[in-house]
Amino acid sequence: MRQGVTSWLGRRPGRHGTLAAGLGLAGLVLFCGFIAPFLYPADPYAIHPAQALRPPSRLFPLGTDELGRDALALLLSGGFSTLAVALPAAALAFLTGAAYGFAAGLGPLWLDKALMRLLDVALALPGLIVLLFFAALVPQTNLNLILLLGLISWPGLARLVRNEARAQRGRDFILAAEQAGASRAYLALVHLSRIVAPVLVVNATFMTGDAILSLSALSFLGLGVQPPQESWGSLLESGLSLAALNPWWLILPPGLLIFAALLAAAMTGQGLLTSWQGDA
Amino acid sequence: MSPVLELKGLGVSLRRGGRDVPVLDRISLAIAPGEMAALVGESGSGKSVTALAVMRLLPEGALLAGQILLEGEDIAQASESRLRALRGKRAAMVFQNPLAALNPTRTVAAQIGEVWRMHEGGGRRAARARALDLLAEVGIPDPAARLDDYPHQFSGGMRQRVMIAMALACAPRLLIADEPTAGLDPPRARQIMELLARLRRERDMAVLFVTHDLALVEREADAIHVLYAGEMVEWGAARAFFAHPRHPYSEALLGAVPHLGQARLRSIPGSLPEPEARPPGCRFAPRCARAEEICGRARPPADVAGNTVAACFFPLPAAARAGLAAAPAPPRVFPPLLEIKGLSVRYPAPGGWLGRRRLAPALEGISLTLGRGECLGVVGESGSGKSTLGRAVLQMIGYEGEMSLEGESLARMTPAARRAARRRLQPVFQDPRESLNPRMRVGEIIAEPLRLQGGLSRAARAARVEALLAQVGLSAAIAARYPGAVSGGQAQRIAIARALAPGPALVVLDEPGSALDVSTQAMLLNLLKDLGRRHGLTYLFISHDLAAVSTMADRIAVLRAGRMIELAETAALIAQPRHEYTRALIAAAAPGP
Repeated sequence: MRQGVTSWLGRRPGRHGTLAAGLGLAGLVLFCGFIAPFLYPADPYAIHPAQALRPPSRLFPLGTDELGRDALALLLSGGFSTLAVALPAAALAFLTGAAYGFAAGLGPLWLDKALMRLLDVALALPGLIVLLFFAALVPQTNLNLILLLGLISWPGLARLVRNEARAQRGRDFILAAEQAGASRAYLALVHLSRIVAPVLVVNATFMTGDAILSLSALSFLGLGVQPPQESWGSLLESGLSLAALNPWWLILPPGLLIFAALLAAAMTGQGLLTSWQGDA
Repeated sequence: MSPVLELKGLGVSLRRGGRDVPVLDRISLAIAPGEMAALVGESGSGKSVTALAVMRLLPEGALLAGQILLEGEDIAQASESRLRALRGKRAAMVFQNPLAALNPTRTVAAQIGEVWRMHEGGGRRAARARALDLLAEVGIPDPAARLDDYPHQFSGGMRQRVMIAMALACAPRLLIADEPTAGLDPPRARQIMELLARLRRERDMAVLFVTHDLALVEREADAIHVLYAGEMVEWGAARAFFAHPRHPYSEALLGAVPHLGQARLRSIPGSLPEPEARPPGCRFAPRCARAEEICGRARPPADVAGNTVAACFFPLPAAARAGLAAAPAPPRVFPPLLEIKGLSVRYPAPGGWLGRRRLAPALEGISLTLGRGECLGVVGESGSGKSTLGRAVLQMIGYEGEMSLEGESLARMTPAARRAARRRLQPVFQDPRESLNPRMRVGEIIAEPLRLQGGLSRAARAARVEALLAQVGLSAAIAARYPGAVSGGQAQRIAIARALAPGPALVVLDEPGSALDVSTQAMLLNLLKDLGRRHGLTYLFISHDLAAVSTMADRIAVLRAGRMIELAETAALIAQPRHEYTRALIAAAAPGP
């Protein structure tokens, strides 16, 4: 017993290192998006034509863009609009995918077949192309973006959850619960959700990363968050459009934050996965 | 005659959590050509580690002490290249699960031939001829037609024969069989046992037969070595051992093996100590009824008497084993609880395509009545439909025919009434681990039926869980644990507590003890018997083990290929079986030569 405890403590930093780093990085990204805008109250839309395209200085810690706007203020407000769209979109995709998967996995065979064929169609469509198609059709309000991004990335999770539910539903503990009167919703929420918790949580983190990336890609193409709002993707695009003048202060910060957000999501997911593999 | 295999003071330590944990100590034995030695022990005794150690197949980081003499050559420290030359050629192994040990993508002829060609060279055609001879030798019917079959095309018993043929490919001097009959029903297990016994005689080959099943080796083994907590506690000639077991553990283990018509099984209190927490003196002392102060302190001496040796301070006198068969109780009369009339179940057969699905019958025309408070045993081989019967009774699957609980037809009930009725029919499954959600705490698992039923406060449920745990002999503290942190026997008790929670009228026991060690199974069957009497429970006890069923059942139904071929009072069925098949089952379950 003693030995068990010491070896567990001994392994702890290694096992939880990735998770801690991922959560720390996620905290940093969230801080930039939701708290920092209030701590740095400069107006992101105020134009200072005399100061256009200046490198970082005491007055503008991250310099200014070609219109003379404060780049740090833009970065922070862009972070807010990025996360305010990407996070709800990821949550929507997660809930849709999980509910769809459970419905197919626990429902009657005909429902499973119907839902799975529909899913095949959804998976066969290239996500970004569909996204661009619809983004070009509807006005880019934040709500529309959330719906679009949310409804594009659920099929992968739906398939995983469905397969897991199918594999588990014949197991004895599920049969025992059914014998005691459990409904399908009860089986999904109480029994299966715990069994598939690693799959769910890890996918939730990956979906968050995906949503941020897709939104950045859309914004980069001008189909994301609309002016005067900025997002990390659109900031990166406007920085790159001036690449000839090498305004690194406009390119690096949004690029690094997109990268940090993706890394945070991936590391948190990976960390959770490893820490779950430890306890059986 | 010099022995084929000789172990001298074999010890094994395995690397666990950064430390070397000794799992096996001072194992010494010798097997002569043509001899079959059985290594018997419960799970955790170290018997499989011994088998792997002889083949030098232990996991990385394992430490070996002592000598392993294979035809006089010490291979305990032999190099990997020397071992490769020996494995398969001079010593071969048959593993527990042939489906996992055979390559699913290659034909059996290719796999058997490969072993031979690897060691002996030789061409494809010669290897094929060799494979044919071997398949014939291990008793595969029509071997020529089956050479190009794949492992999945064989049944469980036949697959194990293929494994044995593969092991025999290079005419090894030593064959190690590690639980080769696990997962087979008793008649098939017996056939594999008889095959190995015949082969060792014909080929003058030494066989080390590793098993937990004493009843299985009783007829064929020449020598017995009983392992407990990593040590040999008793060893010697099989005949003398079975006539007079002298170590208290051997005696208790034999008493725990169910015999036909036995009224109550022996059970051993306590559980096997973990390798990290083995007592200093005799390792069995804490569970031994004969233990005295010295047993906890010093290592017991080897006590020799006749043809057996017992490592014990106070061995049992060499008196015959206590008589086991009790006088049959007079048949009891039960008021009807569940009536089954013309029950049939069909499963979709493979091969159907789209709409044209064929239905294969799994059960046909079963009619019987279960009395209140009765235990009805259902026996049959794998595939006889006995588990299907259990599931149909539990209303888990669709069926044709009539079933009525206390006079009310279950099929014609309203959905709500049917749900309520199903709560009164509760299952206990074979594999206790599989039947408990690994991510739910024990307390939550047992409380689940109460929660689904509704009407009880959280505190009332907790109190009921505690009472249920006490009924199955578990402490309340276990409620906070996860199933991964309890033993197999405890897990099965938890499953029983859950089945009792909704206050059932009928409990379907589907092979409740067969995934457990014999002593744990004995404890469990006794517990079920006591609970049944105390709560007036009706049991449907499904098993392939006629002996185990006969210790509990009032009546026994024999199923074969989906039909009920015999139904009679237990004592009458054993004394005067009417059907040929029942007679064969009884012969397979009967002890001794």
